[in-house]
Amino acid sequence: MQIFKPHVINKEESVISITGLYKSFDDLDVLKGIDFNLYKAENVAVLGKSGSGKSVLIKIIVGLLKPDRGEVVVLGKHVNQLNRKELDDLRLHIGFSFQNSALYDSMNVLQNLTFPLTMNRKNLTKSEANDAAEEILDSVGLKDKLNQMPSDLSGGQRKRIGIARTLILKPQIMLYDEPTSGLDPVTSTEIIELINEVQQKYNTSSIIITHDLTCAKNTSNRIAMLLDGRFLKIGKFDEVFDTDDEQVKGFFNYNFIQ
Amino acid sequence: MNDSPNKHAVIVGLFIFIGLSFLLAGILIVGNLRETFNRKMEIVSFFDDVNGLQPGNNVWFSGLKIGTVKSLDFFGKSQVEVSLNIQSKAQKYIRKNAKVKISNDGLIGNKILVIYGGTEEFPGVGVGDTLTVEKTFSSEDMVNTFQENNKNLLAITANVKTITSKLAGGEGTIGKLLKDSSLYQSISIASKSLEGASLKANELMGSLAAYGSGLNKKGTLANELTTDTILFKSLKASVLTLHQITDTASAFISTLKLAGSNPKTALGVLLYNEEAGTQLKETMKNAKSSSIKLDDDLEAVQHNFLLRNFFRKKAKYVKEPRNQVREALK
Amino acid sequence: MMNKKVRKYVFSKVLDEYFSGNHKAYRFIALFFKELFKRPFHLREVINQCFEVGLKSLALISLTGFIVGIVFTKQSRPSLEEFGATSWLPSLIGIAIIKALGPLVTALICAGKVGSSIGAELGSMRVTEQIDAMEVSAINPFKYLVVTRVVATTITIPVLALYCSFVALYGSYLNVHAEETSSLISFYQSAFKTINFLDIAISVVKTIVYGFTIGIVGCYKGFNATQGTRGVGKAANQAVVLAMFLIFIEEVIIVQIANWIRYF
Repeated sequence: MQIFKPHVINKEESVISITGLYKSFDDLDVLKGIDFNLYKAENVAVLGKSGSGKSVLIKIIVGLLKPDRGEVVVLGKHVNQLNRKELDDLRLHIGFSFQNSALYDSMNVLQNLTFPLTMNRKNLTKSEANDAAEEILDSVGLKDKLNQMPSDLSGGQRKRIGIARTLILKPQIMLYDEPTSGLDPVTSTEIIELINEVQQKYNTSSIIITHDLTCAKNTSNRIAMLLDGRFLKIGKFDEVFDTDDEQVKGFFNYNFIQ
Repeated sequence: MNDSPNKHAVIVGLFIFIGLSFLLAGILIVGNLRETFNRKMEIVSFFDDVNGLQPGNNVWFSGLKIGTVKSLDFFGKSQVEVSLNIQSKAQKYIRKNAKVKISNDGLIGNKILVIYGGTEEFPGVGVGDTLTVEKTFSSEDMVNTFQENNKNLLAITANVKTITSKLAGGEGTIGKLLKDSSLYQSISIASKSLEGASLKANELMGSLAAYGSGLNKKGTLANELTTDTILFKSLKASVLTLHQITDTASAFISTLKLAGSNPKTALGVLLYNEEAGTQLKETMKNAKSSSIKLDDDLEAVQHNFLLRNFFRKKAKYVKEPRNQVREALK
Repeated sequence: MMNKKVRKYVFSKVLDEYFSGNHKAYRFIALFFKELFKRPFHLREVINQCFEVGLKSLALISLTGFIVGIVFTKQSRPSLEEFGATSWLPSLIGIAIIKALGPLVTALICAGKVGSSIGAELGSMRVTEQIDAMEVSAINPFKYLVVTRVVATTITIPVLALYCSFVALYGSYLNVHAEETSSLISFYQSAFKTINFLDIAISVVKTIVYGFTIGIVGCYKGFNATQGTRGVGKAANQAVVLAMFLIFIEEVIIVQIANWIRYF
């Protein structure tokens, strides 16, 4: 597969900036001092073992979880200091693709796509919303599934609909939570292509949470290794891959064996 | 992603829990406390039998619920002490001589204690006063009485039934009376005439008695009479006449009797038959004349020298009308 | 540096969890009333949920109410026959059904059916991150999911309870009619003879409280479901158990308060 990263990353323009982030659950410290910047139009893959707090990180970014300590600034706004209304406004600019797609299973595909749109843009007519949904569905290549229920779709299709649902609000930042987990390699490749396509088409910055090295390698401008609550290595894939760090090596070896 | 319970949440949760518990307990208890807010006083009463009265049963006065039965305890040999909680506001209306009884709230309702009676002269009850009990019938007694009454009623109705069936069949005197209208009329007439006849007979008998008493005077008179032969003859004649009269009277009375037992014949004969009436009158006349004669005879006797002395003595005795009556009664 | 924190419990783990649960529930209810009067009202969703709650429970409520009416009449008949008072049967049943059985049966059926379905639905939405998905789409899931459902149950269950009472009375009528051949009108007349406006008002208030309880408990349990798919079942189960428990407590309290109102 061709790795295709034409972007020039402007290191001056940071969309997400995290400093000194701590988070713990009960007796378990999950994040122990994260410092990290995501730049405009950049894709960063966050690699790490299961339960290492990768998902916690992006949930803090989007305001679903509150950090114990630390600063999270998204698009110039301090996430923890926003009220409900301001947080909602900020969230309109962030797309969040869930691990299990989190499609509303009481709604069909079209309703799933139009739901965030109609809820947030009150002056939008129904046909306008439908047109937007069809357009976005076309871009993920699932135009024929318009009236199907989520339970009738395959895992890959659900993932794509999930991504489409976040894209419909035209976000500036995309957060992908395990986009390729539980998918066969072919479907994984489709999703990887979609992620890259989104980056180019909508000029989004993305954080891709994954433990799939192929996915990390092919979607990211940079990768970050999250081990033991800290970013052990942040850099280009090859740089991180060629490290001498035993923990990082252990992670890569484990994944390759798998 | 479960946030662990922090101290603040636990404390607030505890207070919410305590608050809710108090609210719940309060709501459940306050309903009963409302009674407690009324000022209460206790009075007692002693029953032989409380008929299943229970603590908490209502106390009524003039049909108003004024309290509850507080407790029931044995007292003395076999009595039951009943303590009542009475609202203080009812105190002045219940007199010391008021009575209590156990009653029912409706036919199948709970037992209630009823305070009743009491007169104005007595002051209102005080705390711890004892109200007297009037023995009332328990429902069991009532039922027993009802049973007895029922039996009696049954017997009575059975009798009435046979009587009425006989009446309806025309049996017996009353039956005949009811059935035969002519009979009724004749009886009515007969009884009327009998009334008249008996009145007259009464009169007659009165006169006869007078005669009898006159005749029957002590043995002496008879003796003296017998000694005077002339006089005796006339006396004998008059007695004979008298005898006839009494015979006639007796026949008359028997005729009257006959008339009573067999109204159809006797009655008309006696009173509506002109002949009989005149006969009766004649008889009376005879009796009267015979008595006059007798009177004359006796007058003569008095003047007879043999009897003069006796009569003089007698006259003396007879002067007193009372004595005369007494003698007559002998 | 942050090291392992040693948790200090105020009482013990279980008690702490229980009390903080109380706090959480209190905050949940407070949030409901806060969100209730805020725009947007999601009226369409409220109506959808009313249909969901009402229409789908209708058959079950009809059957249950009907059977309750018949059975209660059949069971009451012998005791009244003892006094020769079978003519009181309609008013006895009127009182029993309108004042107690109708609301209670409806509430228990709905606690079972609606409460568990809300608990399971929201629970599964929680564990499959659908609620989070709404949140990140800048939709207030509490308002869209919880408020609409609670409002729907609060509106629908009183209606269902009234309907249930009438069906139960009709069932009772069939039994009475079979034994005494009285007409439907005379049956309803004597059934309502001893019922006054206050009784019906109290029943309606009661069912409003039940409806709110079923909705809020189902939503609370579902909304706070954890532990994956197992949590969904647990949420549904707990929603039913807690709702029924609360319904009985509320019944006692409302009857008590109603009696104050009645006799003051």
